[in-house]
Amino acid sequence: MRPVSFSLTRLFILTLILTTLVACGGAATSPDAPVRETMAPAEPTAVAEATVEPDTTTETTPEPEPTMQEEEEEEEEPPPGSFTTPHPILSDVRVRQAIAYCTDRTELIQSVYNYLSPEEQQGLLMDSFVPQGHWALADNITTYPFDPEQGNALLEEAGWTLPDGTEPGPGVVRTREGEQLSIGFVTTDAQFRQTWATVFEQQLAENCSIQIIRTHAPGSWLFGDATGLRRRDFELAAFAWVGEPDPKGRTLYACNEIPLPENNWAGQNYMGWCNETASRAIIAANNTLDRDERIRQYAIFQEEFTRDMVSLPLFQRLEAQAASNNLVNFISDPTEYMTANIGEWELTDNADTIVLGFSQEPSSMWVLVTDAAVATQAADLIGFRAFTKYNYDYQPVALTRLPTIENGGATLEEIEVSAGDMVWTVDGEAMELAPGVEVINAEGETVTYAEGDTITMSQLSVTFEYIEGLTWEDGEPVKQADFELAARINCDPDSGASDLTICNSRQNIDFINDTSYTITYLPGAQWPEYFIYTVGAGISGNREAYPSHQVLSDGRNLTDVPAAEWGTLLEIAERPLSNGPYTLVEWQKGQRLVFEANPNFFAGEPAVPTVIIQIVTDTNQAVAQLLTGNIDVLEKATLGAGPEVQTVIEAGEAGRVQVFLEASPTWEHVDMNLFLR
Amino acid sequence: MTTFLIRRIVQMIIVIILSSIVAYGLLYLAPGGPMVEFQQRQMGGGRGLSQADLARIRARFELDLHPVTRFTRWFVGLPRGPITIAGQTFLADLQVGCAVPGQVRLRYPDGRVEIVEEGCDQPVTMADLEGRRVSRGILFGDFGRSQVIARDQPISTLIWSRLPYTLALMGVSTFLAILFGVLIGIYSATRQYSRFDYIMTTVTFVGASLPSFFFGIILILVFAIWAKEAGLPYLPPGNATANRNYVVPLLGTVTAGSPLDFLLHFIMPCAVLTFINIAQWSRFVRASMLEVLRQDYVRTARAKGVREQLVIVKHALRNALIPFVTLLAGILPTLFAGAAITEAVFNWPGLGQLLIDSLNRFDYVVAMALLYITIVLQLIGYLISDIMYTVVDPRIRLT
Repeated sequence: MRPVSFSLTRLFILTLILTTLVACGGAATSPDAPVRETMAPAEPTAVAEATVEPDTTTETTPEPEPTMQEEEEEEEEPPPGSFTTPHPILSDVRVRQAIAYCTDRTELIQSVYNYLSPEEQQGLLMDSFVPQGHWALADNITTYPFDPEQGNALLEEAGWTLPDGTEPGPGVVRTREGEQLSIGFVTTDAQFRQTWATVFEQQLAENCSIQIIRTHAPGSWLFGDATGLRRRDFELAAFAWVGEPDPKGRTLYACNEIPLPENNWAGQNYMGWCNETASRAIIAANNTLDRDERIRQYAIFQEEFTRDMVSLPLFQRLEAQAASNNLVNFISDPTEYMTANIGEWELTDNADTIVLGFSQEPSSMWVLVTDAAVATQAADLIGFRAFTKYNYDYQPVALTRLPTIENGGATLEEIEVSAGDMVWTVDGEAMELAPGVEVINAEGETVTYAEGDTITMSQLSVTFEYIEGLTWEDGEPVKQADFELAARINCDPDSGASDLTICNSRQNIDFINDTSYTITYLPGAQWPEYFIYTVGAGISGNREAYPSHQVLSDGRNLTDVPAAEWGTLLEIAERPLSNGPYTLVEWQKGQRLVFEANPNFFAGEPAVPTVIIQIVTDTNQAVAQLLTGNIDVLEKATLGAGPEVQTVIEAGEAGRVQVFLEASPTWEHVDMNLFLR
Repeated sequence: MTTFLIRRIVQMIIVIILSSIVAYGLLYLAPGGPMVEFQQRQMGGGRGLSQADLARIRARFELDLHPVTRFTRWFVGLPRGPITIAGQTFLADLQVGCAVPGQVRLRYPDGRVEIVEEGCDQPVTMADLEGRRVSRGILFGDFGRSQVIARDQPISTLIWSRLPYTLALMGVSTFLAILFGVLIGIYSATRQYSRFDYIMTTVTFVGASLPSFFFGIILILVFAIWAKEAGLPYLPPGNATANRNYVVPLLGTVTAGSPLDFLLHFIMPCAVLTFINIAQWSRFVRASMLEVLRQDYVRTARAKGVREQLVIVKHALRNALIPFVTLLAGILPTLFAGAAITEAVFNWPGLGQLLIDSLNRFDYVVAMALLYITIVLQLIGYLISDIMYTVVDPRIRLT
């Protein structure tokens, strides 16, 4: 026995050494090891809005556009990657449509918002990727009312049959060639989703005998960098998108936005859906600056999108705000903050103070470095608005008009560019034109620049005109130097701004006088919302202009302070000079911010002398303070959409407070993965 | 004693360093982080951030540095850049992080292609650290600046703005809890198994078992909302002071920010914390007293005819309090750290809320500053407790 034992030990050590040697010796020796190619640094996450005209006949082909460049050009077709095997169940459009017909979305809404009336519940229903009432919503879409009969017929047609003598119902699962109609379904572990997902699972089982294997994963997994959606690790996945006035959608539905291993998982078309007509339309809709053409292209897209049923829109979430009964002129809107018109608010009993409840303290009053909703709303009090965005659209406020191509406020000119000229590339970068650089020409075609070529490209120029009378709280008029300072600081990488894409796409700004300037973009840069991209490039007025005349406590003039120091300046972060309806007079950290009416506000001194923002992190506490009169207004994030809303609704019904319910721009949907890895 | 103190202080420094490493590591290993907000924005379907934007944001949070470099910069404020000695610069090219990770394309024999991150395309060197903002190091008392919740503002300002509220709430509630706890403990021990003992045992256990958020919400419902609706004198549901004057039946108009206003806001959170903490003190004192009351010297004292009150206070209580001193060591960090849940329920602007807020919003430098202070106070508490032993018990000598 002894010699055998000794031999085994030696054999084990030898194996260990050999294994180590093989591992260290390089992968080339193993027949299964991959070939390694070094990648050039690139822009894997940059998502540029390509700039082409809406000519669908000459549109760029929706072939996958690799966002990274290989060091060596390859002539042959790209090798097959993963996600080439159609999903055995979900690749069949009839099954996907059946899932839609078998889902009673009203019941899903009822499960989470049972305190709403049937009409209010209906108002949350989604049939497309934009909500009811949106300017881009098409009327030629396929809708999927709750119709289990239709759903069952489609499943029968697709070959998924019931066991003999059975009816659709729980415990009965359809089969096809011995395979069960069983689909994995993943969503987050939020209580809200656990509630409606349970009902969804029951509906598919009871109505159509589709078995759903439900999993609730942490958000960090579902939305993780290398997990969940980004790796397309799902069959059915439910989550939410946030809608905006501009529907966008290219990164979600275009063929070249499908995350794959070979493009380093770039893109958000998690379904792997490539419908060329839809893809061309969504790209064209995002590339034109003409609203009518955009509506036409979005209609084409939605027709395909709803017919293919690759993503089942369910419902918009609910948002609620509450206010005391004495408050008038309060506007509750899905896409605009309540504070947008705070200068117009009035109190019927002539009280002198309004208290707003915020769930979070603003991290800074300088909204360039924070775009949190609380900071933006607080900034509304101390900065004029260039525009508002009510009801999924835009309206000028401090601008004389929204400058569009149609009204002559903007121009789109064709210019010749050649080597050395700065252009905006297909990948969304500012770059000198050189051989190999890809750009979109004036015809909307993607072209690769070659030595000695001249390319005709489109160049956008937009002139913003502000109304007369904009004034700082100290009585100093807002002037050209203030806009110049804003343009310089907002685009300085040291300022702490997170997104400089718009800045980088500008060629120059021509300041005409104290109330107007023209922004000229690099050839190729076209932003669908160009008419709101002022030097502030945001909706908060206190970064439209900075007080160039302000002298700081240390004796320096604000214009002389480097951008890197701005975030630490008390005169910027904690007590900025106001050009809005109110001035900030006190900030008790962790508790409240106190504002007083600005007599120099361009639209006139507000009727309510004092506004207080009270920080209340806990929703129960916020509601208690509303009901006991310590707080007058609870905004959306503070009130949430949980059971506290029901308490507030009941108080509203009893006449104690005003309650405003809105369909949120955030909407729930179920994505269907069309391929297996 | 001097030797003991020197040895203990050296040990404390080592423990502080080790616990700081562990706390810092755990915080950064936890899921989420400051980049989540930007990832979610990428998920929004709109215009994404460029690679340069992301690299700049990562640099702001120091996430482009290797963990060890990140920790030492936070802990002792080093390295700040290349080392310059007599005009000569050293280690300028030493890599201390990676701004843009490298990527490798893998082509598998079956035709699959995959891109994975590997290596570094744009390293961060010591030279790149020059000019970056860095604190002098938390070890030397510089907490640095907040990254998220009070962006670019000193953390010390944040802490000082909330410290008085936490000290007031925790100080008073702890004092009351100890006061009532000791009295109840003594009385229960001297009347063991009496009706009072049973009632107090039940009540204090209910207090210890009730979650503070539940108890707090009940109090708010009863003494704030229902009382106000019924037209009775009521207590404000939350905050430290009111936003404007208000009328309370029997009390009249209460001026916002007045001492009475503060007192009315203080009552409920203080009552919750006192009630839920009485149990631990009363049970401890009761057990300790019961043990001492059975000792021979107590029996002797009684046999000598010493008055019962004197026996309890002078002979029994003094000895029963010796183990009690160990519990007091735990008070120091508690006074600072606050009671996060109670503060949240009553919207009390204390340090407990600040800790929750900093963790929820991934402001790790603020969270680490609070954790660090708690660690230091805990160790100081232990030291004081050891020294106190020698005071209350002459038999103990520290060498």
